[in-house]
This record gives sequence, C-alpha cells and structure tokens, in this order.
Amino acid sequence: MESVHDFIKKVKDGEIDIVEHTYRLIEECKEINKEHNYLNTISEEQALDSAREIKIQLKQNKDIKNKKLLGVAVSAKDAICVRDVETTAGSKILQNYKPLFDAFVIQRVKEEGGIIIGKTSQDEFGFGGFSVNVGKGFKIPKNPFDSERSCGGSSGGAAGLTQKLSNHIALGESTGGSIVEPASFCGVYGLCPTYGRVSRYGLIDFSNSMDKIGSIGKTIEDAALLMNVISGYDKKDSTSLNVKTDDYEKYLKKPIRGMKIGIIKEAFGQGVEREVEKNVCNGIEELEEEGAKAEEISLELPIKYGIATYYMIATSEASTNLAKFCGMRYGAVEKLEGSFNEYFTKVRSNNFGDEAKRRIILGTFARMAGYRDAFYLKAMKVRTLMINEYKKAFKKFDALISPTASILPPRFEDIEKLTPLQHYMIDIMTVSPNVAGLPHLNVPVGFEKNLPIGMLLIADHLQEGKLIQLGSAVEHGK
Amino acid sequence: MKHFTNDIVIGLEIHAELDTKTKLFCSCPTHGSEEPNARTCETCLGMPGSKPVLNKKAVEFALRLCLALNCEISPELIFSRKSYFYPDMSKNYQISQYEIPLGKQGILKLRDGKEIGITRVHMEEDPASLIHPAGLKESQYVLVDYNRSGNPLVEIVTEPDLASPDEARDFMKQLITVLNYLEIFDINDGIIKADANVSIKESDYARVEIKNITGFKEIERALMYEVSRQQDETSHHKKIEQETRAWDSEKGITFTLRKKETEEDYGYIIDTDLTVVEITGKLVKEIKKEMPELAQDKVRKFVEKHKIKKEDAEIIAAEKGLAEMFEKVAEEINPILAAKWLRRELVRVLNYNKKELHEVEIDEKHIIDLLKLVENKKITDNVASKILEKLIEKLFDVKEYIKKEKLEAVSDISELEKYCKEAIEENPKAIEDYKKGEAKALNFIVGSVMKKTRGKATPKEVNEIILRLVG
Repeated sequence: MESVHDFIKKVKDGEIDIVEHTYRLIEECKEINKEHNYLNTISEEQALDSAREIKIQLKQNKDIKNKKLLGVAVSAKDAICVRDVETTAGSKILQNYKPLFDAFVIQRVKEEGGIIIGKTSQDEFGFGGFSVNVGKGFKIPKNPFDSERSCGGSSGGAAGLTQKLSNHIALGESTGGSIVEPASFCGVYGLCPTYGRVSRYGLIDFSNSMDKIGSIGKTIEDAALLMNVISGYDKKDSTSLNVKTDDYEKYLKKPIRGMKIGIIKEAFGQGVEREVEKNVCNGIEELEEEGAKAEEISLELPIKYGIATYYMIATSEASTNLAKFCGMRYGAVEKLEGSFNEYFTKVRSNNFGDEAKRRIILGTFARMAGYRDAFYLKAMKVRTLMINEYKKAFKKFDALISPTASILPPRFEDIEKLTPLQHYMIDIMTVSPNVAGLPHLNVPVGFEKNLPIGMLLIADHLQEGKLIQLGSAVEHGK
Repeated sequence: MKHFTNDIVIGLEIHAELDTKTKLFCSCPTHGSEEPNARTCETCLGMPGSKPVLNKKAVEFALRLCLALNCEISPELIFSRKSYFYPDMSKNYQISQYEIPLGKQGILKLRDGKEIGITRVHMEEDPASLIHPAGLKESQYVLVDYNRSGNPLVEIVTEPDLASPDEARDFMKQLITVLNYLEIFDINDGIIKADANVSIKESDYARVEIKNITGFKEIERALMYEVSRQQDETSHHKKIEQETRAWDSEKGITFTLRKKETEEDYGYIIDTDLTVVEITGKLVKEIKKEMPELAQDKVRKFVEKHKIKKEDAEIIAAEKGLAEMFEKVAEEINPILAAKWLRRELVRVLNYNKKELHEVEIDEKHIIDLLKLVENKKITDNVASKILEKLIEKLFDVKEYIKKEKLEAVSDISELEKYCKEAIEENPKAIEDYKKGEAKALNFIVGSVMKKTRGKATPKEVNEIILRLVG
C-alpha cells in the first residue's frame, strides 16, 4: 500500500499541483461524506489557502522542502481546536463555536506543511465506542466496508475517512480506546501514544488524566510520520512530558528478531468472536515467523477491573469538564430568562445528548461526599495497581498482545439493543492500557465476512518505537 | 468537635490576593488596564481546550506565608476542582486545594500575645467579578468582568479561637501586617475578604456563617452586629438556626442567605490538568533564606541597634510602614526621641483620625523636619503635636509654617517672666489659694501662661518661674 511518503516527494518535485490536488480532495471528501458522514466540518477555504501558500512558496523556491507533511491532507477529530474552524467535539452545545487558537498538534501540523481539511465526526465528547452517541443533530458515521455497521468510536470519522481517502492522515484522540478500536473496525493503523507524549493543549477535555491525541494512518509509515510531527514537549500543557522525542520512523522495517511478546491470556477465549481470535492468532504467528518470541501471560487486574476503574475516573473528570458548557461564553444559547440556574439548566438540557447527560450524572454521583472515597479515590488506587501489574509484565516483554475488539464491527440494529453497560464493555480490551497511560497500536491482521479485524499491541511508557517496529513487521510480512 | 467554653466563639476564613505580576494559571497580568475583560486569555476565560499552567511565584508567596505562620508544610502541592455553577466561574469549577492544603497547623499571635490556631493555608484562583448595573437585588442582569478571573488567592482558615469581635479585628490586622511584611500583598489595592463563623454560648453554639466581609475594619462591625443579634434572639427565647448570612455594609446588618442543614457538596476531585508539585526541603530553605525581615526581626534590630525599649520596638514593628519610617527617622534623630514620637504621638493622631499609616500622606521627611525642631528645642512638644495633627490632614513645609505662625519656643527667660507676672496679677484668687496650701492652684496660672504663649513654652519651665516669683 502506498504511504504518503511518495505523495510528499511528488509535491516537492512539482509533479503534483497541490492546489489542484486539494480541490479534488475536498470534492472527494464531500462525496464520501454523502454516505459515510466522516466529517462534521470540511474546512475548504482554509485548506485551499494552505495549498496556495505551499504552491507559491514552492514556486519561489522557498526552503520548505524539508517539511515533513508538505501538502498532506490531515483531518482532526472534532474535539481538537482549529483556529477559525467550527470545533464542536461532536456536541450541539458547541455548535458554531470557532476557537480563537490552534491546538498544539494543529500548530505542529501546519508548521510541517500539512493541510487541515476538516473536523471528523465522533461520539459526543468521546462518549462511546461506536460513534452512535453523536450529539443532537449530528450524523452517525458508517463503516467503510458496510454502511449497516459501525465504524467504531469515538474517533469513528477519523478512522473511516482514513480508510476511504488516500494521501491523508488523521488526528484521533483516545480516552479509553477511541483510536485503536475504530482503527480496528475500519482496517487502518491507529497509534495512541504514552499519556503526556503529545500535548493536549487545545484538545476539548473528556478525562484529563487519560486523554491522548494520536495518529491514524492507512499505513504504519503514515501513523509513524504524523506521530513524529506531533510528539514533544509543550510548556502550555502541564502534563506534557519534557523528555526527548524518539524518531519513530527509524523503527519502520527494523528487524524484530528476539523481541518478546506476551499474549494476554484473559483476552482470548470466552466472549471473543471466533473469527477475531483466529485472525489475531494469525497476526501473532506472523510476528513469530519474523523472529519474535511469543509467550502467554496472565493479566488479571486490567481485564477484571479495567472497565470499572476507567468509567469511574472518566465520568468523574468528564462531569467537571462539561460544567463549563452553560450557554454563557460560547456555543449554544437559549432564550435569556429566569435565574442563571434556570438558564444553565435549559441550555444543558436542550443541547447535551443522552450519553453526555448519563456520564455527567454518573460522574457527579461518584464525586459526591460520602461516595468519593468508595468510588473515585478507590479507582485512582486501582489505577496505580494496574500500572504496577503492567510494569511487571514489561520487565519480561517488549509488548503485550490482545484483540483490539472482541467482536467484528456490529450492525447498528444490534447496537441499539445493547444496554449502556454492554455498550461500555466493548472497550474491555482497550481501557486498561488507556487507564495506565501506555502506548498502544492497532494493527490490521485480516478480514472475515469482508470486515476488518485488528490486533492490539501495548508497550511500556514511551516505547512507541517498539510498537511501530512490531506493527511494520506484520505489515511487511503480508 | 471542639468543646467550647467561651461566651463567644469565632473562626475566620480569609481570602487574600497574592501580589504576583501574572495570574495563577496563565500569563495574563494581574494589574493594568481596567477596561472590562482586557486582561484575559483562553485559560482564564475557561475556553474549551485551554489548560492551566501553575505560576511558580505564587507558590513561593504562599510558602512565605506558611512559613511566617509557622505552618507545617505539605511535601506536595496538589490542586483540586471545586465544582459549583455560578456566573462568575469561568469553568463552573474553581481550581483550589482540598485534601492536602499547602500549610496546616500554624499560629498567629494577637497584639496581647494570645495565640490563634491556623487550621490551614491553601492556594486557589479568584473567580471573575460580577457587576450588578442596578444594584445587588434590583438588577435584571449582571455583567461579568474576567480581569480578576484567575488571580492568585490564599485562603487562611483559623481555629475557632477568637473570643470577641475585637479579637477578630486584631487578628485581621496582625494578618495584614504579616502579609505586608512578606511583600506578598498589595496593602493599597489588594483585596482581602473574610467569612466568619460565629456562635454564642446561650444558643449552645449554633453555628452561623457570615459571608463576604471586605477589609479588616468591617469585620468588627459585622461581628458586633451578629453577636448582639444572637444574644437578643436567645434572650427572647428564639432559636438560633444554623445558617449562612451575608453582611450588608451599608445598612450595617447581616441577613439570611440560605438555611441548610448540611454543608454544600462541591464534589472535589483532583485537577489532573496540573501535575503534583514537590515542595522539597531545598525549596523551603531557599524561600526561608530570601524571606523579607518580619516584625520580630525588626524588634530585635531596634532594641540592639537603636537601644530603644522592647515595648516601644514591638509597637513600632507591628506595622511595616511605621517600622520602615522609624528606621529612616532614627538615622537623623535620636532613636529614643523618634521612637517616643512615632509610637505615641503619630499612633495617637492616626487613631484619632481613624486612619491607617498607609492611608495618609505623611512621610519620613516631614517627621524628620518636625522632630529636628523638637530635638533642638526650637518648638515645644505641645506645638509639635499640634503640627503633627495638621500634617496628617495635609502635608506642608514644617519650618515655613512655624516661621509664618511664629511658633518658635519662647526661650527668652525675661519674656517668659513677663507673661508669668501678667498671669499672676490677673489671678489673685489662685495665688491666695496656693498660699493657703492648695498646691494645685498653681496649675491654673501655668495654664494661663501656656495660653498666652500659644504653647510655645514648656510647662516645666513656666512652673519653675512662677514658683520663683510667688516665692
């Protein structure tokens, strides 16, 4: 499969007219959107402006040829702020909101010559695993292989668009699996970095201690390239890690002989669809053929308590993050009447979706005096125990493996039948590495019934390189 | 719960603005344009996607205070989100501290040496200010000015150790002195507010909270009102309910805000947008080293260097402005004379005018001019006192004024004798009484001479002359 690498080369060499290309690409986006709803906003004007600027600079022989993303279309999940482009995090409550500043990652992409083409659809504020919990009035994105099925979530639009659109890389965001899970359902690579590796400045918060911006690419090369651009220290995000960045591209095609991978015992067997298990096992075999050593490992805590811990922390933090949306400074407004309390209530009642309201209620409950010790603070302690358990495993293994999702992309009609708790369980494979802040990668490993299946690789903190190394071995083993 | 024995039990929660250049979590200036919302950015406006970054200077300032109050300092600085909906809140949660305050278990001494326990000292951000265009109750809408949003505050919570409104006032005064000495509070423009918990024995210590008392003079007024209200109610067999009241400074009354059985639930969680800051021993040591001189340091210095009485030194050092004035004046004037004048006369005149030193214009130059004349016996104490009273109202050139008003001390004995003789002649009755053995009767003659000389003579001298004349 062609990576954006060759495309960038053609742009630099003048073989591609970037303005013409961008026109066509925007039209293609519009066409794709008609059926699949991957983009909440297409930033046509800004994209064309960027393309024209690149064209002029190339003509003037300006020194821009070292730019890593020159002319590449980059989409941003709608929770990532782009200056002057409507940014809603998929919620009606932020309709028409145009940020006054770029997120750190957007700044970096622009600096490297990337062209921001629009904002991809998602579950409202990231609250879901199937992108069906979109905000009021938003359209649900559909699986690129079967429009009756989900493309996963919450970065559903990002993964779907990546599958459908060439010469494009997506900025996704994950709190509990929202990069790898949609990547798995759409058959693309999703790389979620270590918590703190990529600045969250300009990311509309879901759960501050778990939110991570990452990359979604058609190839592992694309995902690694965008990660190279966006990772690094940012003084405007206090949780940003002030640690030297790795060159992720140098891990591509690096031999994996002798690397040790742990197969998470509890992630196979009961509850995992047969086709999924079969294909993930094929993926493991490919790694073994390339010289990796696979061994089973039991990780009880993450699978057993992952969901509970995750939802306790995530809803607690989310319920405070969503408090600021009240129709006062930005976003949706209602008729001004009554006391401020009545007004805020009206704005929030009319503009938040059901899942957002559910999570606000859950989180507010978990924070209440008398409950916070039993719920929120306990969850924080379990998180530490989970990190310790992972750390122990990483003394022995370079990476851990499980299916990314235990099921094939489900049909919308089946999703409707799920209870909220069953819905939450979809994240069972992915929440724990997210809770622990560990980098993880979805690697497409095969198709069944014309639907893609993904394998999840998890590495120790700041070991994204190992994930890319292993991921590219599977790709090239094909 | 503590077992109370005092008739009146008062505890305070005080918020003071730290005088940093920039806000607590962004780089917007804390001073500057007063145009509404001019000093704001995405962070202090709470725009989606913005993130807080801690102002290190504010932490240093707060640590200074913890050290000055002898607090136990937490090894970690952790911020929490205090959630409640209010139009002055940019995020509808306030970044504050909860479980582990920066400092705890401190002490602040009152003027009389009584120790008041400090429960905790913590840092938090100030909300925006609300402007009610037609007054608090009448306005149909409010305007929000975010210039103040995100300013750094310290909250100081006392133990319920204060036993009277007067002690509460004194506590506030002592606290402001400390803040001022530490150079972390702008005594002219800085905002200091208190919430007070008040209860009395007669009501079995039912706790009433009074919100939002601004400035330390108000605190005594508000508490005096509230204590007597509670006493009146109980003496008429009315029950004092646990409630929250507000202080209306204009009307001089407190009124019910809300009656609630339980404390409000703010749903505190840790703010994970901020990382835990380690307060290392090294940092504390550095801050200690750079701490400005405190009142007790000044006292020691005044006693050792200037040889003034400890009692005088303590009174002068109790106010930073006064202490600094003394240091300058003592360079030119005999320190003992300077101390006497500053602690007695200047303080008396300020108290009489109900003013604080920083509220009046008088400076060390005028004090030195005045005391030079006293030191050289060019004017009498009496005249100097009167000039000081006038200087508090408005500054003027002391020497010129004395010349113009002919207030130089009468040192010419023959001239004084002339006044004395006149006085004796005019008051034969007093002389008669004196000769009958009423020693006090002479005071009347002395007073009469003082009047004639407009205070330009010293009573001691006049007394001697009269005694000689009367024989």
